[in-house]
Amino acid sequence: MIWATPILAGFVAAIAVPSLVILYFLKLRRIPREVSSTLLWKKAIQDLQANAPFQKLRRNLLLFLQLIILGLILLALAQPRSTATASAGRKLVILIDRSASMRAVDGDISRSSEITRLEVAKERAIGLVEGLAAPSLFEDSEKADEAMVIAFDRSAQIVSQFTSDKTALITAINGIVQTDGPSSIEEAYRLAQSQRPNRIFIDTGSSGEGTDPVEIEGIKGGDAYFFHLFSDGRISDLDVVRADEDTPDAPSFEYHAVGDAGAVSVGLTALRAERDYEDPTKLSVFVGVQSTDPLARSVDAELLVGGAVVSVRSVVLAGAEVDVQTGKKKVSTGGVVFELNEPNGVVVGVRLSTGFGNESSMDVLGTDNSGTLIVPPAKQASVALVTTGSLFLKEALTGLSISDLKVITPGEYEEMRDAGEAGAIDLFVFDRAMPRASEGGVVFDPGRYLIVGDVYTGPGGMIDHGDGPGTQIINWRRVHPLLRDLTLDAVVIGKSRTVEIPDGSELVSLAETTEGPAIIEMSTGDVRAVMVAFDPAFSNWPFDVSFVVFLASAVDYLGTQVGTDVDVNARQITPGFVLADRVPSDAGNIRVRLPDGSMSSEIIAAPDGRIVYGPIHKTGVYSVQWTGSAGVSDVEDDGKIIRHYAANLLDGPESDLGAAASLDLSNRVVSASSKGEITRLKEWWPWLLLGAIAVMMFEWWIYNKKVYL
Amino acid sequence: MLRSENPTRPATIDELLSSELIGKISHLDVSSRKIFAGKLKGERRSKKRGESVEFADHRPYTTGDDLRHIDWNIYARLDRFFMKLFMEEEDLSLHIVIDASASSDCGEPNKFLYMQQVAMSLGYIGLLNLNRVAVTAVGLRDELVIPGGEQSIAGTVRDLRGRRRTHDLARFLCSMTPEGGSDFSQACKRIAMSRRGKGVMIVLSDFFMKEGYETGLRMLAGRGYDVFAIQVLSPQEVEPDISGDLQLRDIEDGDMAEVTISAPLLKKYKENLSAYCQELRDFCARREITGLTIQTDTPIDTLLVEYLRKRGLLR
Repeated sequence: MIWATPILAGFVAAIAVPSLVILYFLKLRRIPREVSSTLLWKKAIQDLQANAPFQKLRRNLLLFLQLIILGLILLALAQPRSTATASAGRKLVILIDRSASMRAVDGDISRSSEITRLEVAKERAIGLVEGLAAPSLFEDSEKADEAMVIAFDRSAQIVSQFTSDKTALITAINGIVQTDGPSSIEEAYRLAQSQRPNRIFIDTGSSGEGTDPVEIEGIKGGDAYFFHLFSDGRISDLDVVRADEDTPDAPSFEYHAVGDAGAVSVGLTALRAERDYEDPTKLSVFVGVQSTDPLARSVDAELLVGGAVVSVRSVVLAGAEVDVQTGKKKVSTGGVVFELNEPNGVVVGVRLSTGFGNESSMDVLGTDNSGTLIVPPAKQASVALVTTGSLFLKEALTGLSISDLKVITPGEYEEMRDAGEAGAIDLFVFDRAMPRASEGGVVFDPGRYLIVGDVYTGPGGMIDHGDGPGTQIINWRRVHPLLRDLTLDAVVIGKSRTVEIPDGSELVSLAETTEGPAIIEMSTGDVRAVMVAFDPAFSNWPFDVSFVVFLASAVDYLGTQVGTDVDVNARQITPGFVLADRVPSDAGNIRVRLPDGSMSSEIIAAPDGRIVYGPIHKTGVYSVQWTGSAGVSDVEDDGKIIRHYAANLLDGPESDLGAAASLDLSNRVVSASSKGEITRLKEWWPWLLLGAIAVMMFEWWIYNKKVYL
Repeated sequence: MLRSENPTRPATIDELLSSELIGKISHLDVSSRKIFAGKLKGERRSKKRGESVEFADHRPYTTGDDLRHIDWNIYARLDRFFMKLFMEEEDLSLHIVIDASASSDCGEPNKFLYMQQVAMSLGYIGLLNLNRVAVTAVGLRDELVIPGGEQSIAGTVRDLRGRRRTHDLARFLCSMTPEGGSDFSQACKRIAMSRRGKGVMIVLSDFFMKEGYETGLRMLAGRGYDVFAIQVLSPQEVEPDISGDLQLRDIEDGDMAEVTISAPLLKKYKENLSAYCQELRDFCARREITGLTIQTDTPIDTLLVEYLRKRGLLR
């Protein structure tokens, strides 16, 4: 039994009880009447009183009853509640896992119908919300429990801020939509913790004098938060969660486990397509499968191209074993490779026949049984070397296996450009030359450029200080795709070129000499160019192996979307992440077609063509459509340019569906709380008021009958 | 029961005694069960023979005696004053005591008016039959109405005889107003001390006296008087028509009684009232007083012609 508003009731009692007693002694105002004699009346009253037993008591009985009524009303005013949820005024953070694993249909195995874990989690969360201490009637909501609802998969979303409005909370919980993303609690946890102020420490030191207050990120002060996690516990990053000390009446972190610990799932964990480097028409599709079934089983993997099954392979999976030491289940994995000849861009699908929903094989999650890949058409880069006659570059490029290499002079380039044929070339390599500025002042047409021995100094370009002394490359970006495979330590430059990147420029220096930037990347909208400022002819670089590797990487990196695996799989996204890409700068009316066929609202591209959509929640094929020019691998259909993306779960831990019985937090292990037993708050005040009315009616009856007492 | 809001105050004899009533009561006469003394001029036959002689005795004169009664013949002979004492007149005295306290000014019809009318009627009968009629109004008055009177007597008129005095009687009755309290015992003591002769005494009152009526009535009874106690009650006193939470104030002494009218209370009240009246009648019976309770809605002629005749006051 707790009291919501005891102070209020106390105040009212202090006023009302003496008032009632005083009023009782003042009694009611009687109408004065003059009578011939009060003799007989007095006798009559005396007789009645003399006849009444407990005369004095009778006189006080009404007062006694009135005090009972008043007492009941005062008790009602204090709003007593009986509940197990201890003190009111708590702040609850309800974390609801909406990740792919919550789609498993073993939510409640006691029920015959298939019900997903998320539905069960929502039901339980609503039960928790209903049991919250409601805002009391007469005081502000300070004493009421407040709850915040956060739904999370890989990303987190606050679906309801802290509120004590149960209807709002329940609506918010009901509004949580299942996603196909993997689960990660980190963002949700940070979102919740960001609402709390940091705890401030004041180090008093040995002298006992306070110094400046110190805030430590991660150690939170303010009201205690009570976390309630509704999940199956398949969360990979639980170690970011640090539970507070439990309060005496409630644990600070409660884990409401949903789902069956023994749930079995077979799912895709990897999907990958590669084209052969030598023969890009050869396409290999790699499929990784895992099983948590303790029994060995064989799964049929179907390969679909354009929606039609073209191949079926059987995958044999051993039974999942349990690690004797840790007691944890080790999933069994298997894989299969499909090989096919497919020069065109296709949508490749892989489907596992696991008998989903079939009682005997008990695969409770269907989301991870299929996956899609967007495979662009086979293509090799076409490269044009614009040179006045350089031995090194021409020889080096010819040595690379580039199917289509043209060697042209700058004059021929300008002719191509004027004729509009330049778009057919993926990469122009300028050898100590630069494109001429067109009439509009545009130097670079949309496209990719590798410029060796010269720098762009036009608008947004470099500041050229002319030739510099001999030097060496002292630093370069080792993580950049262009430079990550090579070492430039040995390069000695005989005649450098001193250039400077102006402040606020989008130019990026990739390698630097003692004199300044040596290799610069320019990336503006449709143009991507890499400039080597110094002339390799005045260095020992052409004789170093890194020169050839650099050129190969440049062709790879700049000669965009060519037949390497990087781009084949770039069109894969994972639910929970955003769909981010670039579209041509003239693209308009950009929309995303979702797997269910609906279209998103229009997306406004950034000036450099960058678009962001999401985070996406469902698996399937997403298509970005726009009007305008097409990228290299884009499909044109009915005046629209379409670029496909495939969203697949492909997450091993997420596909491992057995609900966790306990959570390993960073500072302790939290066991699942007893299932669904959340006590409801019971308000007593209506009953007290009813009691008061009953006593009042009894008193009225006595009052009318009082002469018989 | 409640004080009359606009009580009728009779101003003339006609309001006290209607001609219709005169016709009904003219044939009546006052009688007494006890007193058989003759009356003046042989109107009433006396049992005491030879006592109708006027002269009775002599006694020496003392200061203050009526000079008219000095026996001048003896003075001539003896040169001393002697008083001639005459026999007490044998006529029947009719003494009407009327309660003129505030409590009489209640009820509908008004109790005091009713008492005035009864007193007038009886007095008229007495005067008509040459009885000696006296009326005493009982009630505490601050100012002394009669010289040498007590505060407990509001007014008195006596020795009225003959039809000519009817208007004197009426004038006296009209001059009385019910007000103040009463000291019934004290008043009765006065009355008993001052009365003369023998006859009939009629006490008209509601007998609601906190100090009790017993002492007073005891004094009035005996000494040759045939006492009639007529308790006059208003219909409202018998059947109270009040309700609610009331603060009842005694009209005489201002005593308060807080009551909440309920059926049991009214029942108890009525029980008490009938017991009180019965007690009064029982008391009267023991003292050879004729007790009678009358409601003011009873016509005067019914009271006179039926009730009082039945009880032998009138014949």
